[in-house]
Amino acid sequence: MYRTLRISFSLKNTYRVNSILYAVKQIPLIKKILPDALYGVKGLKIFANVLSAAGEVLSVFLGKFLYLSIMIRGIGELYREVPGDQVFLHILLFLTVIGAYMNTSLFEPTRDKYFAMILMRMNAREYTLVNYGYTILKVILGFLPFTIYFGTLQGIPFWFCLLIPFSIAGVKMAVSAFSLRNYEKNGFVYKEGKIRKHLWLFVLIFLVLAYGLPAAGMVLPEEASMLILAAFILAGLSGIRKIYSFSYYREINQELLARMMNQMDTIQQAAKTANEKTISSDTHITSRKKGFEYLNELFIKRHQKILWRSTVKITAACFVLVWGMLLALCFVPEIRESANELVLNWLPYFVFIMYTINRGRNFTRVLFMNCDHSLLTYSIYKQPKFVLKLFQIRLREIMKINAVPAIVIGAGLCLTLYASGGTENPAHYLVLFISILCMSIFFSIHYLTIYYLLQPYNAGTEMKSGTYQMVMSGTYLVCLGMMQVKMPTLLFGITCILFCILYSAAACILVYKFAPKTFRLRT
Amino acid sequence: MKFIIEHLSKGFDKKEVLRDINFSFEEGKIYGLLGRNGAGKTTLFNCINRDIRADGGRFYLEEEGEERAVQAEDIGYVLSTPAVPEFLTGREFLKFFLDINEGSVQQPKTIDEYFDYISIAPEDRDKLLKDYSHGMKNKMQMLVNIIARPKLLLLDEPLTSLDVVVAEEMKQLLRSLKDDRIIIFSTHIMDLALDLCDRIVLLSHGELELVEKSNLDSREFKEKIIAALREDAYV
Repeated sequence: MYRTLRISFSLKNTYRVNSILYAVKQIPLIKKILPDALYGVKGLKIFANVLSAAGEVLSVFLGKFLYLSIMIRGIGELYREVPGDQVFLHILLFLTVIGAYMNTSLFEPTRDKYFAMILMRMNAREYTLVNYGYTILKVILGFLPFTIYFGTLQGIPFWFCLLIPFSIAGVKMAVSAFSLRNYEKNGFVYKEGKIRKHLWLFVLIFLVLAYGLPAAGMVLPEEASMLILAAFILAGLSGIRKIYSFSYYREINQELLARMMNQMDTIQQAAKTANEKTISSDTHITSRKKGFEYLNELFIKRHQKILWRSTVKITAACFVLVWGMLLALCFVPEIRESANELVLNWLPYFVFIMYTINRGRNFTRVLFMNCDHSLLTYSIYKQPKFVLKLFQIRLREIMKINAVPAIVIGAGLCLTLYASGGTENPAHYLVLFISILCMSIFFSIHYLTIYYLLQPYNAGTEMKSGTYQMVMSGTYLVCLGMMQVKMPTLLFGITCILFCILYSAAACILVYKFAPKTFRLRT
Repeated sequence: MKFIIEHLSKGFDKKEVLRDINFSFEEGKIYGLLGRNGAGKTTLFNCINRDIRADGGRFYLEEEGEERAVQAEDIGYVLSTPAVPEFLTGREFLKFFLDINEGSVQQPKTIDEYFDYISIAPEDRDKLLKDYSHGMKNKMQMLVNIIARPKLLLLDEPLTSLDVVVAEEMKQLLRSLKDDRIIIFSTHIMDLALDLCDRIVLLSHGELELVEKSNLDSREFKEKIIAALREDAYV
């Protein structure tokens, strides 16, 4: 048993340490300094080990702290009509039952289980028991300080606060033992993460019981909750025997991990098939154009579904919203003033909205998967004049796709401004409309430029560029940050238009200068 | 015409894959590039095709005594796994390539003549490429690579997974293509190399080396190649 524990720990740790090192290796600049053989460098390994250990400690305590402080105490505080200690135990009780099913660890298909039991053929029973024992220990140790802290704060007797972690562990073991017995009888393997309809219903009902009843002023009396939680401990104790004596752990894990085994082999195949499915097989699609315009037209027409459908939906939704807004302004005059203020001061907010509805990322992904992935293997396709020609054509296409909802939003904002009382300066209308259009153009150029400059995929369609991912995350954060900016529309709009013009010019210069060299398959 | 490589080197981290490649390839010949797994055959091709940057050295074409740099359009690179744009039909793919090569293709044929040339049946010509078999995709890839008549044709294990009939057709095609150009054909399969190629070049210890056949019979020649490759340990 001890040996299994040691091996399984070192296996999990190696996996984690290597993942950390791999992640570090993805960071631009740092990756240039680090040697390829970094997995063997001692100092780095120690560093990753420290991180890994810190992660483990954090996983023991942090989650439990957040769970108790937010899900139970935090929400419990909102119910002022019922006593704090009762509501605390009430919510805890019902959520614990949900957790016993949703978070078993015994029936969770994980990578380390796959490595240990399938690839390395370790003894399944020993491996499972050792790891399960460790998980249960983590549950008890992780919960203990916080049940004492939050429990006593809520006026629950100290001795009972000590028992709560055992009760949580107890119900988990009882449910696991029940599932194991079910397997012995019916051959049914409960799979965590693959939850069926009736279990969702069960979760929903228990959530309503946990949070709905207190809202209606009803909670279980303290004694009742305590009694049930104590019963969980006894149930857990009786479950231990089943868990220990169960002899089909290998069979269960084979089935549990079968999906993962298949996934590892066929994930690439599945991705390929999924991409191919997006291609329309309509034989009537043709083009009368020539060369790259011909290629582009066929690409757009055969990918109509994936490229245009969501744009059409977004546009329709914007249209409905605009009409709704206009009707509201007509019939509820009280909101006019605040709507007017909103339009005149909250334009920065629309940066994030335009970011979320932009199709640039999706467009470049489809471009690569179904077109460039193959054509970039032909030298002739990589000739600088052809790269630039196609860039122009594609920029036009992506701008078209993004412009449709932008026009509706821009016009909608102008109409809202007009219907909510208008403005003294008519320039507002123009700036509103143009700046929204500029945002849409900016995102179109941004995504395509980044794609041409960093082309992040390799021939196996794997993402290979840390820089690309960082630019994408950076874009998200900046757009998110824009929601905090409050600036008069006229000022922000003009800034936005100028920025868009400058950015477009810079992007085009960069693409013309570098894309012929950077736009190729990663190796 | 000659394709000349001088002092080409490429390493990954501390491992030198291509050490000091010096070689002169001559027009009208098929060169069989043999090397053990990991010897650097694909790296060499990727350097020539400028998919990765070499650490040092250079390569160029020499025509009538004049040196000139290798341009993208001089190279055709056929991969073992054929990559074709799946959203186009065979005919559309060909039309697109003929369009963008307009002017540089000498005596262009009609699209159907090209299909006949690589034996793709009329009923398959208007199907989407995603529905083509592996062998058909391979033929399309080869065809597109030779339409523009590149001076240098690099083939990375192109016949390995083809059925015998298609493999034989492709061999015939390659033989018919060798005039006026240089074909470098990398493979693991010695019999294929001996059958198809005019010269056998070994990539071992990061260097290229021509194996002289002189007056050896084919069994002795094979043994000589194996012995040379065996020395290249730890690859």
